[in-house]
Amino acid sequence: MNCQKYQENLPHTIDSGGNAEEEAHLQSCTECASVVQDLKYIANQAKLLLPMHDPSPRVWQNIQSSLRNEGLISEGRTSLMAQKTISQVPSSSSKAFSARAKSWTPLGWAIGLAAVVLLGVVLVNYHPTPTQPEVAQNSAAGQAQVVADQELIGQVSKQQPAMRATYEDSLKSVNAYIVDAKKTVEDNPEDSAAQRQLMDAYDQKAMLYEMATVRSLQ
Amino acid sequence: MNRHHLKTALGVVALSATLLGSTLALPLPNDTRKQTFNLAPGGSVSIVNGGGSVTLHPSTGRQVVITATRYSDKVEIDFTNTPEARRVEARTHVLSAKSTSDESRVDYDVAVPAGISIVVNTSTAPITIENVDGDFSFSSDAGQITVRNAANSFVHVHSLTAPVSLSNLTGVHAEIMSSGGSVQMVSVTGPKVKVSTTSGDITYQGDCSGGGAYSLVTHSGAINVTLPETASVDLSAQSVSGSVINDFPFRERSHNTFVPTPGRSFAGTSHSGSSSVELQSFSGRIRVKQQ
Repeated sequence: MNCQKYQENLPHTIDSGGNAEEEAHLQSCTECASVVQDLKYIANQAKLLLPMHDPSPRVWQNIQSSLRNEGLISEGRTSLMAQKTISQVPSSSSKAFSARAKSWTPLGWAIGLAAVVLLGVVLVNYHPTPTQPEVAQNSAAGQAQVVADQELIGQVSKQQPAMRATYEDSLKSVNAYIVDAKKTVEDNPEDSAAQRQLMDAYDQKAMLYEMATVRSLQ
Repeated sequence: MNRHHLKTALGVVALSATLLGSTLALPLPNDTRKQTFNLAPGGSVSIVNGGGSVTLHPSTGRQVVITATRYSDKVEIDFTNTPEARRVEARTHVLSAKSTSDESRVDYDVAVPAGISIVVNTSTAPITIENVDGDFSFSSDAGQITVRNAANSFVHVHSLTAPVSLSNLTGVHAEIMSSGGSVQMVSVTGPKVKVSTTSGDITYQGDCSGGGAYSLVTHSGAINVTLPETASVDLSAQSVSGSVINDFPFRERSHNTFVPTPGRSFAGTSHSGSSSVELQSFSGRIRVKQQ
């Protein structure tokens, strides 16, 4: 048993440990032992990063096709996951494909490891900031609120023209309250008093809407 | 008929027409209706009115007596009561959108039994209730809301600019919310007293007794609290940009949930600190003083 043969069979033997000959090689070869150790480490870390549900077989097939098109894997080689996935697909073509499947080379695993490390670095250093769509969404929500306020004033004007100015003033005041309270919470996220004031500001606005609606219905 | 007689006859007709027109233009005399309903224990009374007034006071027995006075025929008063005597409702119905505020006003005088639920909604009509215990839910845009002399009651108030006045209420659970109206409380105690305003001032005068939780919150209104020396409270006051002034001899708290900032916040205890009092404003001034 040499290293090449051992690593070619590794996808099939990594979980079971392989036959006696393969086990003997692993005990004696530090290079293969290191590869196995790296593979197990990657598998463990991947469990933490990946969602609990396996993606559909189609995803793995697409990845494999992409890698093949990029020239990163040859026709005769496929990954452990791809083999597992393909074996789950009960079609004759997949069986034929499985028969041709081979393990990744150490280079392939190195690329995979690098990808995992890179992903980890990205995740650790990821600090979410408002993206353009989020900013646009917030702006849209603000616009929607302005429109809702105008509709409310319009409704009050129809039902109680004399109260229009009062409702307008009250809305202006409560919107200023919300802005102030929001800013305080943003500046001091752990301040429970500020959080309570923000909730109170929203309660005040809800009250205005409720009162205007009740009056309109009357 | 000669010319003189004709002139006289025309003058009489013209005068009669003028007098008739004046009579028609006169407002209708007050039209008062009185309705009596039996109400089951735990039942509810609901009054919906625009302008005018709503005054509630205690009745005898289980009867609800509603006396409604209107001042024009441009409004109707609709009464509803359910067969099982669980609910009574009186509602002002304005017939013409062109009615003036005087024409559409109705004054309600309502005698109610204790221990019932009372819901009143008005636009500009003041709401006054005294010497009645029960569950009250009052809402008014601009009409003053007054609650006096009640015990073990639930008081729920929503006001736009209407001033709110509560006095001599013991054992109450009060939740008062006003946008721009002031809220005044004198001798109001109970397990929970929560007041919040956007710009209305809040005034509390009393001892906050009963081991309750008192919370007064405002955005830009002022908060004034006057306590007797005997008050047993654990009080905190915080303002983001307004001033906080304390003239009451509190003991310093051993543990605070915030770091007091002179002029902006403080916390202290008086006697055993049985009631919790939290005062919060954004830009309004907070002042605590001894009675």
